[in-house]
Amino acid sequence: MKQAYQKLDVPKKNSVEMPSKVLLVDDEKEFVLTLSERLQIRDMGTAVVYDGKSALDLVHNDAPEVMIIDLKMPAIDGMEVLKQVKQTWPEIEVIVLTGHGSEQDKKKCMDLGAFTYMQKPVDINLLSKFLKKAIEKIRTNQ
Amino acid sequence: MGNNKEVLSRGGMQFFSKMSASATHEIKNTLAIINESAGLLEDLSMMGEKGKPLSPERVNDISQRVIRQVQRANFVLKKMNQFSHSVDRKTQIADLEETVCFVLDLASRLIEMQGVVIKVTSPLSRIMVETNLFYLENMIWKAIETACFAAKEKKQVVISFGTDVAVPSIWFSMDLVKDNLMDDLFGSKEDCALIAHLNISIKKNKANYSFGLLWPKRFNPITPN
Repeated sequence: MKQAYQKLDVPKKNSVEMPSKVLLVDDEKEFVLTLSERLQIRDMGTAVVYDGKSALDLVHNDAPEVMIIDLKMPAIDGMEVLKQVKQTWPEIEVIVLTGHGSEQDKKKCMDLGAFTYMQKPVDINLLSKFLKKAIEKIRTNQ
Repeated sequence: MGNNKEVLSRGGMQFFSKMSASATHEIKNTLAIINESAGLLEDLSMMGEKGKPLSPERVNDISQRVIRQVQRANFVLKKMNQFSHSVDRKTQIADLEETVCFVLDLASRLIEMQGVVIKVTSPLSRIMVETNLFYLENMIWKAIETACFAAKEKKQVVISFGTDVAVPSIWFSMDLVKDNLMDDLFGSKEDCALIAHLNISIKKNKANYSFGLLWPKRFNPITPN
């Protein structure tokens, strides 16, 4: 079976632990592929899917440590993915990254158990910081 | 009458807001891609400084991506600007097919989100109506939204135009429809106000899962300029 989470074969710059399994879910392909490459450059292992159903399938087969999901997607939207993931796999941390967020959406996502809620365009350093915090939380809870 | 006008205006505001929200979201998405592309170039150049060569093909790929996104955002802005001018005149002569295609472009993201494929069959000759363009666009959007919701399994909608030049009409056909949907089409207060303002009628054809927007019969068809 093909490895779902890809990592760049580059020497580590530092000893900071970063997630090795980050699943990015967004129907904006060029966005999510570019973001994925940038996270790989920052020592993370990433997988990319473009819709909610594929995300849930991958979570079922090869669960990520952290997910980054968009809210507005065809068929199963990000809110539904978040709800299902946190119900079945509460140990997975979910970062919502959206271009269309309202305060109501933010509250709903946080109530559903999102780790954090971010707006596009995103600052990669801030996103990396949250990914690092998410993995620290996971390690603490293990 | 005053109340009807208020209902019509409120519906119009909701339509304008929905289109604006969709357009701004799409522009935000293009900005997010441009932002990540610029960031990736920065990352690659930093890696270059550390000895990992940066290939010209890679730089070209990224710059092409930025160009595509600028064109995409420009298309959305042009449509949004055109849409904003729909309210400039109380009435004007509108081409029904052009207006349908314009609304499909304007709402392309919203339609895509529903996973519905819409096919437009052109009329034999141009069909013109004198109307309030903004409310015509509003009515066409309501019909598209209804048809997309109705299209049950195959998620396909065909938009066509009536062949009787004396009675301009737009038809929305689905392969199957959700149960009972055809019974209460366009029954809300907002829908009724819009239908009355445009002086059109709705014809349902339950047997072949379609409905039409029909203008009153006329004896002197409007000819295109």
